[in-house]
Amino acid sequence: MSPSETARDVASPAGAQDSAPAERPVITVEDVVIRYGTATAVDRVGLTVAAGETVALIGPNGAGKSSLVNAIMGLIRPAAGSVRVHGRAALVPEGRQLFPELDVEDNLRLGAWPLRSQGAKARDTTRVYEVLPDLADLRRRRAGTLSGGQQQMVAFGRALMADPEVLVVDELSLGLAPLITAALADHLRELNAARGLAVLLIEQNARLALDLCTRAYVLEAGRIRIEGPSRQLADSAEVAAAYLGGAAEPPGPEGDDG
Amino acid sequence: MSEFVQYLISGLAVGCGFALLGSGLVTIHRVTRVVNFAQGMFAVVAGLTAGSLLSAGLPHGVAEIVAVLAAGATGLLVGIAAIGRRGTSPQSALIITLGIGFLAYAIEIMIWGDNPHSFPGLGGAVDIAGAHLQKQYFLVIGAAALGFAALGLFFTRTYLGKALGACASNPYAARAVGINVTRMGLVAFTLGGMLGGVAGVLVTPLQSLSYNSDVLLITNGFAAAILGGLNRLGPAMLGGLALGVAESMVAGYYKASYQSVVALALMLAVMIWRASQHTALHEEAAR
Amino acid sequence: MTQQLTPAQARISFADLAARLRSPRTLAVLAVCATALLLPQILSGSDMPVYVTLLLSAIVVTGLSMLMGYAGQVSLGHASFYLIGAYTAALIATHDKPTWLGLLAAPFAAALVAAVIGIPLLRLRGHQLAFATLAMQLILLNVVGQQEWTGGDIGLQGVPRLTVAGYEFATVSSYAYLALGALAVVVLITRNVVASRPGRGLRALATSEVAAESAGVPVVAYKLVVFSLSAGFAGLAGGIYAFYTGYVAPGSFPVLLSFEFVVMAVIGGLGTIWGALAGATAITLLLQQLNELGTAEGMPSSAPVVLSYAVYGVLLVLVVLFLPRGLVPSARDWWVRRRRPNPEP
Repeated sequence: MSPSETARDVASPAGAQDSAPAERPVITVEDVVIRYGTATAVDRVGLTVAAGETVALIGPNGAGKSSLVNAIMGLIRPAAGSVRVHGRAALVPEGRQLFPELDVEDNLRLGAWPLRSQGAKARDTTRVYEVLPDLADLRRRRAGTLSGGQQQMVAFGRALMADPEVLVVDELSLGLAPLITAALADHLRELNAARGLAVLLIEQNARLALDLCTRAYVLEAGRIRIEGPSRQLADSAEVAAAYLGGAAEPPGPEGDDG
Repeated sequence: MSEFVQYLISGLAVGCGFALLGSGLVTIHRVTRVVNFAQGMFAVVAGLTAGSLLSAGLPHGVAEIVAVLAAGATGLLVGIAAIGRRGTSPQSALIITLGIGFLAYAIEIMIWGDNPHSFPGLGGAVDIAGAHLQKQYFLVIGAAALGFAALGLFFTRTYLGKALGACASNPYAARAVGINVTRMGLVAFTLGGMLGGVAGVLVTPLQSLSYNSDVLLITNGFAAAILGGLNRLGPAMLGGLALGVAESMVAGYYKASYQSVVALALMLAVMIWRASQHTALHEEAAR
Repeated sequence: MTQQLTPAQARISFADLAARLRSPRTLAVLAVCATALLLPQILSGSDMPVYVTLLLSAIVVTGLSMLMGYAGQVSLGHASFYLIGAYTAALIATHDKPTWLGLLAAPFAAALVAAVIGIPLLRLRGHQLAFATLAMQLILLNVVGQQEWTGGDIGLQGVPRLTVAGYEFATVSSYAYLALGALAVVVLITRNVVASRPGRGLRALATSEVAAESAGVPVVAYKLVVFSLSAGFAGLAGGIYAFYTGYVAPGSFPVLLSFEFVVMAVIGGLGTIWGALAGATAITLLLQQLNELGTAEGMPSSAPVVLSYAVYGVLLVLVVLFLPRGLVPSARDWWVRRRRPNPEP
């Protein structure tokens, strides 16, 4: 009953990576268990994201990724374990989740809700338009009328409005054309490089995630199966087979032989 | 002609009350999905409180404002009972607000007895187009217009108003950006209480209120609100005004005793018409 | 007792577990029936009217509970059908027609009205239907209060006593037995409806109309049938009420009465016959006690009203928040949980 323990040994633990970020963690998840009724969605999962680090969380549908995200964001309470966020985490939710009746400007401004005690200046959206200039032209458009890619951009902008230490991106590529996904990925890279913004990217598209992030976790059936530097994971036969379409093999049997 | 003006203005004044009540219902429903059966009670509480404060010697203006704040506090309490406990469905919350209406009856009878109460509003009258019109009508219309303007500004110009709109638009997203949706629901209940309170203090000088006036008030407020599907303020306001005028016309030209029947029949017609536009599938999908 | 059984007996009783579980229930049913039948003999003169009121409420609430619990429809205007039944009986009886015809016509008139208005009304759901039924009652009260043939606000006076096959129902206890008989009929009909195939379809309806519809349940027809049936029950109670009190007036059927029926149904537990009976009993008895307390010496004149409203309110809120399924289903769960730890061999 300890596939996750053995899996953790496949790759060396956090720290042995080339980009050598500061060790100060922004997200620490320890032994988190999430249950819905009697079903266990997440089973004793540990995960860290250090300041300025880009970390991917990959895995098949229903592996518990979204549950973990909700726990990190404080939207659900884990049954056991602890989640600590040092500083502020902002979420780019799965499926964008904008406020469709409100315009882009208001969607962005509401992203600064955690900073509401700091007054009107914290709600100034110019800093987002500087980073995502495409949004400036859309500022008066109702969010519900935008294309998927534009909406994802607004979701990014809204998350940035909270001045986060770490951006949690739930399904960057879902439902978007590859070109648009690539553009958004570039934005993420830039934000990380220029501002030292840490990123936790939850992706089904493992190739994209491993390409974008320096370190990755593979979540399967509620447990961390593998973790390590992205490069190492990309080279791992197991990951390649299951997630990178290396062998034309469907997700297949999992866990028991690991 | 003079009769018509008379009925129109008095109908608009009463309709302002319905419109305010309807707006309160919409404000609460948008954020919480709860149809607040205690909405009429807020008006009763404010109207009776204002009367007591005035007879205790408080000046006009102060008494009314205190009464509206009292209604707001009542709204907050109703909200805590209706949505404070996690997992209370909107349907259960409706029954809870019904229960609180009973509790309010008990308290109101203890404080004010079971007789209708009123208090004098703005005295005097003016003659317009041959119609003899109480000044209170115009005060009601003016004050309600100010109230609506303030409400509109609140929702379109303030950050808190925007956050309430966000909760209505997408509760999950609201939580994702860190908005506490339950707390916003309580804000909505407080605001709904104050709107009901404004209706109460404005209308009480026109028609006296007793503890059980709330049933007719809530039905009229609901009739106004249902025009916009309980989610839009504009139609709720217009609906309230139209209802007030329709009732006034029926009472004036036909028979006073049929005025509420007309309003209720109108409401039924609108609801059934709206229902024929939406199937059960729509509604359950929207849940 | 269980420990003394031989293994063979234990095996048999294990096989008959279902039957054994039912037997205390059968005993309970018999006990309740016996008590109900004996009560008119035991109760004092001043308590009898309370008993009749209780039984009439129970008839209405059984139907309402089925409507709310099985068809998932909230009616805030069920006293309308009580009114229609009462006026039907009173009108027939005061127009020199046989009184038994009045009693017979009462439930049918109410059910017919429900079927007709139900066609447009039942397109509404949830709070919309709640308000629509409330509006319907307000309209009805208003209209009835203004017609000459209904006696206006004064209503119809001098309704003769009910006479069936030469027997005149003259005493309070005769009406108690009449109401008991009616309640028995209503309970049996409800039981059969609930246990039938349509009944199971209805249960699906309460959770999701869409799911029920896609499973082939004729949603609209079922809703209409249950609505009419529950209205018919209320009409029957109204018919008895008219003969029992001897007069009917709009003031006897306020909107608050409708709310009271809802309170009884919710508190007892929606969708259960026992819940409806328990809810009607609990609320009627509680109100009776409060009334005695409120009219005690030294109490202000408004005390009975204040107390009853306060209790309605507090009970309704507490039950919905903390026993959302109502008294009877919660008590049943507790009973089952309590028994389960006993190890079965």
